[in-house]
Amino acid sequence: MGQFKKLTKISIMTFIILSLTGCWDKKELDQKAYVIGIGLDTHEKEGKIKVTYLVANPEVGSQQSGGGSTESPEEIISLVADDFISSRNTANTVISKEISYDLLNVIIVSEELARKPDFIRVIYSATKDREIKRTTELVITKERAEKFILNNNPFLETRPHKFFEFMISRGEETGMIPNTDLNGFFQVAESDADLFLGIYASTEKEKDKDIASDDDFMAGEVRFGGKTNDTQFSGSAVFKEGIMIGKITGEETRISSLLDNTWEVADFMTTFKDPFDERYRISARVIKQRKNRYDFKQRNGKAIVDIRVPVYIEILSDPSMVNYAKNKEKVDELKKSMKKTMEEHLTQYIKYTQEELKGDTFHLSVPIRKWFWTLQEFRDFDWMKSYPDAEINVNVDIRFGEFGRQTKLPQLEEVRD
Amino acid sequence: MKQNEGKIGIKEYVAIISLAIGTKLSDDTPTIIFENARNAGWIVVLLMGLMAFIPVILLIKVFSAHKGKDLHEVIIHIFGRFFGTIISILLLVAGVASIIADTGIYVDIIGTMYFTKTPPSIIYVMLMLVCAYGAKRGIEQIGTVAWVLLPYLKITLFIAILVSLNAGHFDYIFPILGEGSMEILKASAKNVSIFSDLFFIGLIAPLVTSFKDFKKGTLLGLVLVTLEISLAMVTFVMIFDYTTAEMLSYPFHETIRYIQIGFLQNVETLFFPFWLVATFIRFSFYLYISAVLLAGILKINEFEYLIPLITTLIILIGIAPDSPSIVLFNMRQNLLMLISPVFLFLPPLMWLIAKIRGDFKNGTVQETN
Repeated sequence: MGQFKKLTKISIMTFIILSLTGCWDKKELDQKAYVIGIGLDTHEKEGKIKVTYLVANPEVGSQQSGGGSTESPEEIISLVADDFISSRNTANTVISKEISYDLLNVIIVSEELARKPDFIRVIYSATKDREIKRTTELVITKERAEKFILNNNPFLETRPHKFFEFMISRGEETGMIPNTDLNGFFQVAESDADLFLGIYASTEKEKDKDIASDDDFMAGEVRFGGKTNDTQFSGSAVFKEGIMIGKITGEETRISSLLDNTWEVADFMTTFKDPFDERYRISARVIKQRKNRYDFKQRNGKAIVDIRVPVYIEILSDPSMVNYAKNKEKVDELKKSMKKTMEEHLTQYIKYTQEELKGDTFHLSVPIRKWFWTLQEFRDFDWMKSYPDAEINVNVDIRFGEFGRQTKLPQLEEVRD
Repeated sequence: MKQNEGKIGIKEYVAIISLAIGTKLSDDTPTIIFENARNAGWIVVLLMGLMAFIPVILLIKVFSAHKGKDLHEVIIHIFGRFFGTIISILLLVAGVASIIADTGIYVDIIGTMYFTKTPPSIIYVMLMLVCAYGAKRGIEQIGTVAWVLLPYLKITLFIAILVSLNAGHFDYIFPILGEGSMEILKASAKNVSIFSDLFFIGLIAPLVTSFKDFKKGTLLGLVLVTLEISLAMVTFVMIFDYTTAEMLSYPFHETIRYIQIGFLQNVETLFFPFWLVATFIRFSFYLYISAVLLAGILKINEFEYLIPLITTLIILIGIAPDSPSIVLFNMRQNLLMLISPVFLFLPPLMWLIAKIRGDFKNGTVQETN
């Protein structure tokens, strides 16, 4: 009897231990095709979309192959489908492996599709699929997404997953593209109080554009010389209620980031007009170390919002050779002029969002929720509708940090003497 | 081989409570609470914890007059043999139904989030096999395992929560009252039974080393799990905002899929095994107490032999429904609503009857502590 008991125990234990491996869902690495990016385009037929897959080749660039592999780092395939869930199987007529979205980094949508009311139906499939993460980036392209993926030929970072990861995270650091993901898109679309910013990119160059200021451009408007990739990431596509309604430039995206508490820009370099010499511009690094402070009041149905933006600025150049280290008054004067410039820019941008976009692009509804007790009150107030008539005052507090590696410069007159 | 001789200390006792109730933050309980309360879900949890204090304290009071008896014996003693048995049977049905709904939901989580190709029936059988084995080993071993693994399970949970708090935006928890104070009260009253485990835990009351430990452990467990679930609710709202949070089926799993720890992406598989272990302990304990209750009703001494019976029953009913994620979700919602009033009013009623019958008059009981 005892032996029988032991045998039963051991067999049950063995069964349980063997089942730990989860063999039912086993898939070897080389049996999967990892999709890094999905491109979505319109299709002339009602209810259909064109799906483009950017499939990475895991063998390229890995140590084992020793760089000797002649395979291409990526495979691109386009097909017409109902959505990007069922298209996985259709793609298997060309691709030999099971298509996996486990490493999906970006969803690339053409502007044409993003401007359609249908877009929200298409993109909501992403919440259903188990493998698609809510951290996936949403990139809007000027041209068709298929074309964008085909034209994108990075010279140095040929592996597509690395390219998109670096490109987007660096762009978010400099503030030229918004720091957003799918989760943010759904959140903004569902709460219906703010506008959502999606990353804007392009591989097509504008021919006859002259850039006014140094950051005031959209993707595709900068003319780079030399030999490099045509892809440019800059600016944002603006979404209202899940439909794209416009776009803003890189500089406007940065301004938006200054007003936004939900996203931090790590490396924001820009230039200001030199108050001591009209011809030059001073380079500066703007850092937001502390959060913005908001204050909200209602006066006879009109909302009044005060935003205090604390910034920390490092002056990186001194083109008019003022020599700030010795000159307290000049520093104060510079601070004043910068404060004025920044406040003007911010106010101007807010005005633009109120009049043109009819909504805010910097999650302003989130901090003002504090002044409401219940969601019902907040919904009745309807921030989307109230925002265009709201009075918004911006106040920038500047603190200076370093003045470059050496604070002193020679006097211009002495050098020229 | 009587394995129910062993007793458990306060450490093991609190660990069991903390895992049995605390794990609820990772299934669809938050979704059920969010539905009414929206972003005030965390207030609802705190309020439910406060509400649960009343029945729990009264229950402890009742037990103070009946040391060494378990819940079923106390019920028989108070309501008489006939009514007591009926009440116990109803409790057993409610308990087993809850286990069916809960295990079904967990199988659905594993099936939709992690093992998509494995048939749900296989997952179900595996899960229940492990839990049945755990239950058969008896409360002492369940307690020991719970206590030994508690730090690992809670540390991983808190890492997930801390990283999420970092990724989320605090302002999302405003407007502070969510859909209004009425809705908060409604949601609390409807779902207070997530703490009803503390009522069923009376079944192992005589197995805790001393009555003092039982009393302290129950109250401490209640406070801990209330804070823990409340914190988790704050986390979910901070990441997803109230609009999305109530649409997600399993917020906890969406959260661990969303966060990144430094340069590590796809960290959900890191948390998954820990979560599974917590699940095993939780259902082992549930199976154990339902077996004890059934044994009490049928007057069987060897309750271990009832565990296979209950497990088979649970698997068979659990596999049955179509589209489990929807059916079971509704079933859980209705069960929570049904059990809530029972949980709120049965202990006070027991206390009242005990008071009237004069159970508290014998000298062994200190009424004021």
